[in-house]
Amino acid sequence: MRLPLLALLARGPAHGYELKQDLELLLGSAYPQPNVGQIYVTLGRLEKSGLIEGEDVEQSSRPNKKVYHLTDAGREALHAWFEETEDEPRVRDEFFMKLALAPQTGLAEQIALINKQRRQYLNTMRNLSKLAAAENRDNRIAHLLIEGAMLHLQADLDWLERCQEELEELE
Amino acid sequence: MRATLRWAHSDLRTHRGEALFITLATAGIVASLLLAAALFGYATNPWQRVFTQAHGAHVWIHTAASADAGRLARLDGVDSVAGPYRTESATVSAHGTRASVELRGTPRLPSVDRPLLTAGHWLDPAEPDGVVLESSLARALLAEPGDTLTLPGTARSLTVEGIADSAEPRYSPGEQPGLVWALPSAVRAPGGQVTGLRLADPADTDYAVQRAVTVLGAGAVGEVSTWQQARAEAQGENRLLGQVLGLFGLGALAAAGFAVHGAIGTRIRGHLRDISVLKAIGFTPGQVVRIFLLQHLAYAALGAVAAAALTEALGGRVPGRIGDAVDVWQGLPGHSVTLVAVSVGAVLFIGLTTGLAAWRAGRVPPVPVPRPSAAAGGRLTGLARGALGLRLPAALVLGCHKAFAGRGRSLAGVARLALPLLLIVVALSAWTTIDRFHSSPEQVGLPAALTVRSDGGMSDPDVRALLAADSRVADAYPGVEVAALVPGQTGTIALRGLGTRTRPYPYTLAEGRAARGPDEAVAGQGLLDLLHVRVGDWVRMTVGEQPQILHIVGRSIEPQNAGRVVTTSLDTLRENDPRVSPAFYQLRLRPGADPQRVAAALTTAGHGHLDVHAVPNPADGLSPLRAVVTGLIAVLALIGLVELLTTIGGSVREGERDVLALRAIGMSPRQITMITVTSTSCTALAAAVAGTAMGLPLAHRLIDAQGSSNGIGAGIARSPSPGLLLLLGASAVLGAATLAALPAARAARRRLADTLSAVA
Amino acid sequence: MLRAEGLVKTHYGEGAPAHAVRGVDLSVARGEFVAITGPSGAGKSTLLHLLGGLQRPDEGSIWLDGERTDSYSEARWAVERRKAIGIVFQFFNLVSNLSVADNVELPALLAGVPPKRARAEREALLAELGLTGKERSMPGELSGGEQQRVALARALVNHPPLLLADEPAGSLDSKGTREVMRLLSRFHGRGQTIVLVTHDARLASAADRVISFFDGRIADDAALDGTPSRKPGTSGVLELRD
Repeated sequence: MRLPLLALLARGPAHGYELKQDLELLLGSAYPQPNVGQIYVTLGRLEKSGLIEGEDVEQSSRPNKKVYHLTDAGREALHAWFEETEDEPRVRDEFFMKLALAPQTGLAEQIALINKQRRQYLNTMRNLSKLAAAENRDNRIAHLLIEGAMLHLQADLDWLERCQEELEELE
Repeated sequence: MRATLRWAHSDLRTHRGEALFITLATAGIVASLLLAAALFGYATNPWQRVFTQAHGAHVWIHTAASADAGRLARLDGVDSVAGPYRTESATVSAHGTRASVELRGTPRLPSVDRPLLTAGHWLDPAEPDGVVLESSLARALLAEPGDTLTLPGTARSLTVEGIADSAEPRYSPGEQPGLVWALPSAVRAPGGQVTGLRLADPADTDYAVQRAVTVLGAGAVGEVSTWQQARAEAQGENRLLGQVLGLFGLGALAAAGFAVHGAIGTRIRGHLRDISVLKAIGFTPGQVVRIFLLQHLAYAALGAVAAAALTEALGGRVPGRIGDAVDVWQGLPGHSVTLVAVSVGAVLFIGLTTGLAAWRAGRVPPVPVPRPSAAAGGRLTGLARGALGLRLPAALVLGCHKAFAGRGRSLAGVARLALPLLLIVVALSAWTTIDRFHSSPEQVGLPAALTVRSDGGMSDPDVRALLAADSRVADAYPGVEVAALVPGQTGTIALRGLGTRTRPYPYTLAEGRAARGPDEAVAGQGLLDLLHVRVGDWVRMTVGEQPQILHIVGRSIEPQNAGRVVTTSLDTLRENDPRVSPAFYQLRLRPGADPQRVAAALTTAGHGHLDVHAVPNPADGLSPLRAVVTGLIAVLALIGLVELLTTIGGSVREGERDVLALRAIGMSPRQITMITVTSTSCTALAAAVAGTAMGLPLAHRLIDAQGSSNGIGAGIARSPSPGLLLLLGASAVLGAATLAALPAARAARRRLADTLSAVA
Repeated sequence: MLRAEGLVKTHYGEGAPAHAVRGVDLSVARGEFVAITGPSGAGKSTLLHLLGGLQRPDEGSIWLDGERTDSYSEARWAVERRKAIGIVFQFFNLVSNLSVADNVELPALLAGVPPKRARAEREALLAELGLTGKERSMPGELSGGEQQRVALARALVNHPPLLLADEPAGSLDSKGTREVMRLLSRFHGRGQTIVLVTHDARLASAADRVISFFDGRIADDAALDGTPSRKPGTSGVLELRD
């Protein structure tokens, strides 16, 4: 959350609620919809790190809102963020640990696990399809995100098949 | 059904060429078969018709003038008798043409063997010099009622009153004298009598002749001719023509059947996917088979109907014998039945071969899968690898490998292409044989070009001197021809004495050796068949009253008299009968001499005493055969074309899937094209070689068999010149290469996204 | 409406025999959309071919609308396929020397529909699938996606109660796959019974039921209800962490 907010502020100063709206606009229905509170907390942390600076602006008939802008340090942090490549572990699912450990505990059957997970994936895929259908056609970013999720799901399902093949061989 | 029509219609649009060729080929085959039927009909029926209408006599016996021919009427088995009529041999001339004739004194219109008048009227007692000519004689003399015939050497003249058909043997210059009916008063110097016997049982002819000869005495009997001889002679060339047409027609039908079978098989192989889809949509296997069957049946039927219609409409207009035959045939009963039967038969045959091929289409599984790679093909043989190693052009090597790799299928392809080529080789052999009759007659039993007869006005030494005086005459062989009774006395044959011991006649021998010693003779095939003897046997025959025993030492090629001739030297005949003197001279001309000119010169030099005829060449009557052979070669070429297109189509299709792989190896599109062109050319070459290798012996055997059955004798067959065969092979290979070039080039250059769509 | 019991099919080719289908029981209700997934070579296509009569089962029985069909002859199956079953394959769906219009009308003509009505049906279907203007083209001139749409039109021209589809999007790109999915869903929405074989999860997720096929046997038969198991308000696509 932190660096995306920094990136949004790179366009110009904005306050918290505006930033939330910008995010929603950008991501469309892919927007994970955290509550506003999380945004304010993140903004506070960023200010503490010195990457942004806030200014109070007075408003009549409303509490003051704080408008933030990017500092030089923040700009540099952004640069660094864009420079570095992402390298995260590919398989982050706990599912595989469950699968690997199931025979040892004797509490669950591997095939049943696979089947259950597959159903889950398929249902998720169905929802993603509905999401994509409902999404505004012009929001390319949102569509790309949804498609990315679908492709990952496909890969996961293929991987499930592989697991089932390997495990069936052992039987 | 509509669905079937829809598919068939659109399939036609994509395969127009093939459809056209099949239709044309079927049309050609049906036309040739119909013409064969016409000729057969013409051959037998007119004579039969005349014989029946005229109450023809089964046996004609020429006897001496003193014989008591009246006794013949009382013979067992004789129903009725014509004559005996007094006859006189004479020579008549009209419009400059001469013919030797037999004047027959007929007081009334005979009841047996009644001449059927075609022009003019019968003899009128008021006109003592009126005569009626037999139609073949009239045709030869170009005579019509009202014309005047002169008898050269005398002051007599005769007037033609009418022309009539007869069932007796026809006029043949040099062989058979023409028939002239005259009033008995016109027969001034009767040399003999002739009696016609009509038998109760025609199969009894031999026995009847035997009894007649016994009653009359062998010495009194001159020549005997039977109705079977007359019929065979009348049918003669038409039969041969009909047989040739029929044989080739059937051969072409078989070739066409194979071609269609192959075409459909290849088409199915190329359409496997489409057929699977059709089945998946809901076509039953039966329907799929029916699609192909009906399609090709329709093409064949169209061709057959077109041919039948054309033959009906234009057949009569064909010039020459064939046109006449069709005209007559159209008037015969059973004509429509034959027309329908032949057309339907040809279509059914093609339908059968189509069905066999189409049945495979029904067995294609309904699951459309990428076409399985051709089971044909195999590892590169060591030979091919060696050739590649030698840096021979890769395209050529791969092409040859492709042509011969798939054992069964490539063999079938070569065989199907070889069949029409084989038939063409046979046709060319027939042509060459006929050609030999014209260009080198001495090789086919006709060493002498002219026959010279004297009418008695010149003495024999004078004639010889005259003949020797002409520089164009290389040799003059004296000869005499008598009728001899065969053993059993069931008929007569021609016994000839030609040449002397000092100047032997140059026989054309097919077997054995020339007759040199005393009592040696050579015989034609017809005689050997008639008497059931072989070369080396002794034969006894009766000449007049004398027996004549001859040792047959050789078989000659005898185009005259249906081969029923035995020839010995004049000396042998003289030994038996010293009174024998040359009746004619056979002249052998120097090479390059024109027989017509020499004949005219000799006639003038002889002051009308000499009768010079050109020896009849059996090939003259066969001139329509050349046109027929040309037509047949055209039809066979068409069938070969269909087969070639099929092979090319299949080869290109199979090659398509490899195009990408070959390009990846580094072959240019031109080289890829060369592969297909080479493989097609190799197939054509193999087919040409196979066709020639099998066709030549087959042609020899067929032509010799035909010669034997004709009586001429086996041994006349001639193969086409090597140049001609080479031309045939070269045109086949070049034609294949040319036809393959365009589609192969197109396939090689097509941009393919991936092999799968190529397979698609 | 479709029921199968104990289906067994073994392929005998070069090498060891392949047991494509080993004792499969299956039932599909009217209006259901069933997807069959599984790794390639598992025998999914063979199962579909058995259901459509394109291959004969070695053992087992099939009931189509109450009629027992596994003992049908090839000709009888062909008649059945005209009116009762529509089939779409991955490749080679169209007859290559017929135009698009002819291809679509062919099953109708086969079923005995008068040409005018066949033509009307064809026009309606092609319009619905967005292919007007391509009636006269030959299949070779169309793109893969267009070919599949024509194939779909051809399969549905007789409004068969059952549609069998074997990897219809297998040779298409993602855009083509989306098209096919949309069309299948649309027809399913109108009550078409569909049995789909696919390895594409997106296509499979459009179905009511997904059957997992492993090694000739059914491993799982799941009804998709699409209820998300996460908190409402989040899409599950993206996570923005601190």
